[in-house]
Amino acid sequence: MNERLKGLYKTIILEHNKEPFFYEKNEEATYVLKAYNQICGDRFELYFEVENGVIEDLTFHGFGCAISKASTSVLVKNLKGKDFVKALLFCRQFLSATTSEVESKENLGEELEAFSAAKEFPGRLKCATLAWDEMVGFLENGGRLTVDG
Amino acid sequence: MIELKNIKSHFPIFQHHPDLVYLDNAATTQKPKSVIDAISNFYEKENANIHRGIYPLAVSASQRYEAVRGKVAQFLNAESADEIVYTSGTTASINLVAHSFLSPRLEAGDEVIISVMEHHANLIPWQMTCKNAGAHLRVIPMNQLGELDLTAFKNMLSSKVKMVAITHISNSLGTINPIAEMIDLAHQNNIPILVDGAQSVAHYPIDLQALEVDFFTFSGHKLFGPTGIGILYGKKKYLSKMQPYQFGGDMIKNVTFEETTFADAPQRFEAGTTNIAGVIGLGVAIDFVNELDRNVVRSFLKKMESDLADKLLNVNGLSVVGQAKNKSAIVSFSMENIHPHDIATFLGAENIAIRAGHHCTQPVMDFFQIPATTRASFSIYNQAAEVDFFVEKVKEIKQFFG
Repeated sequence: MNERLKGLYKTIILEHNKEPFFYEKNEEATYVLKAYNQICGDRFELYFEVENGVIEDLTFHGFGCAISKASTSVLVKNLKGKDFVKALLFCRQFLSATTSEVESKENLGEELEAFSAAKEFPGRLKCATLAWDEMVGFLENGGRLTVDG
Repeated sequence: MIELKNIKSHFPIFQHHPDLVYLDNAATTQKPKSVIDAISNFYEKENANIHRGIYPLAVSASQRYEAVRGKVAQFLNAESADEIVYTSGTTASINLVAHSFLSPRLEAGDEVIISVMEHHANLIPWQMTCKNAGAHLRVIPMNQLGELDLTAFKNMLSSKVKMVAITHISNSLGTINPIAEMIDLAHQNNIPILVDGAQSVAHYPIDLQALEVDFFTFSGHKLFGPTGIGILYGKKKYLSKMQPYQFGGDMIKNVTFEETTFADAPQRFEAGTTNIAGVIGLGVAIDFVNELDRNVVRSFLKKMESDLADKLLNVNGLSVVGQAKNKSAIVSFSMENIHPHDIATFLGAENIAIRAGHHCTQPVMDFFQIPATTRASFSIYNQAAEVDFFVEKVKEIKQFFG
């Protein structure tokens, strides 16, 4: 089996894909953010409970490939408990490490760096960043949903 | 006659990619050298705009362009070359019929029938035309094997129905629909019918006069020809009465500031400079197909399809989506807990070209309650060994994901 691909599908991604963190719907959520990739049909919903600008609870549910699912799982795991500013900075850090051609100086830890291998597979980069891109849009807008549905 | 065993040598792409296992033929076929040469020869040695040019190059380009019309008519056994309209592809052909044929005759409360397995190209044009007129789009259902419910179809037919549009072969399921029977049923109720032949024209001989179909559409690029060229066949009695879809040069008889008289069909539907090199390439692609023994091709493809389906069905946790009794050379499948895009990425790394996604048939995915499938589709240059290689790689992927 192709070694470069094995690099992309690291154990971490496979584990998150199989047993994602906080994978459940939340009917009580303050906000439901939709992350949808119209090209491949991946579709996740992120359920927030927000209090005083802090993400008190965050879960997700939906359908997507191993990479997009694992990446959303990692997002949820890392943003839970953060305030909007910290969450936004964290997302930007992840996105720049994942998409930038320059080697990132930041040490994001093994779990997040697993996704930077997607750089080698331009067709799959959006899978790694789908939920993060949506989240940045949400947080940059002060936590308001910009698009209905 | 071209023998299948030597066929790969006609396709230069396999010299540049010797390890390529190309199983994405339902999306587009590879191009034989004769087609590629014809296009580059045209631009190198014969290029001129068609019609109205008096100099020899223009006359010769016009003649070649018009000669392909006759070739297409013969290939499909149409009654006359005047029934053949050049378009940019199946999508444009269907839009033309929806706009120029159906739209003027559709009234509020009327109905248009399509099937649940239509490609979006044979769905959205009708949906929009219905919306604009206040008419209803009705959908022939199918069973779990991916076979259309003909009884339901019969029950839908009434004087309210102004058009039936149906795919010959489903691009996502591989089902071959009983179009002869469906055309008869539509005609018994005096309803015109369009058949989308995008997936059938490469492998299944079409006899338009025997079928008596009113409109038939296909794309050149799925028939070993270039992209950007397609055909709309329409019965003369309909084409001659249809208004143009686009206006401009090359489609008129006479123009003043007050009024324009349009050219007769088919020229009235070919406004502007068309894809001349594409038409010439399509002609050579048809020559190439005419060199094949189509009975041999059909039984070869049938064997490839059933071998792959049988072997995949033996893999645990894998299901084949679309198991109709009459199937073309398309195998769609899904694997428990493994997304089609992950499968496609792994297969791509092994030089296996397949397609993953909804294949522009979202209602089919909704019907089977899956978001996407992985689809392998065969053509004449595939090899029996490729089936085994493919199945072996699928098993490896399954093991990797655990």
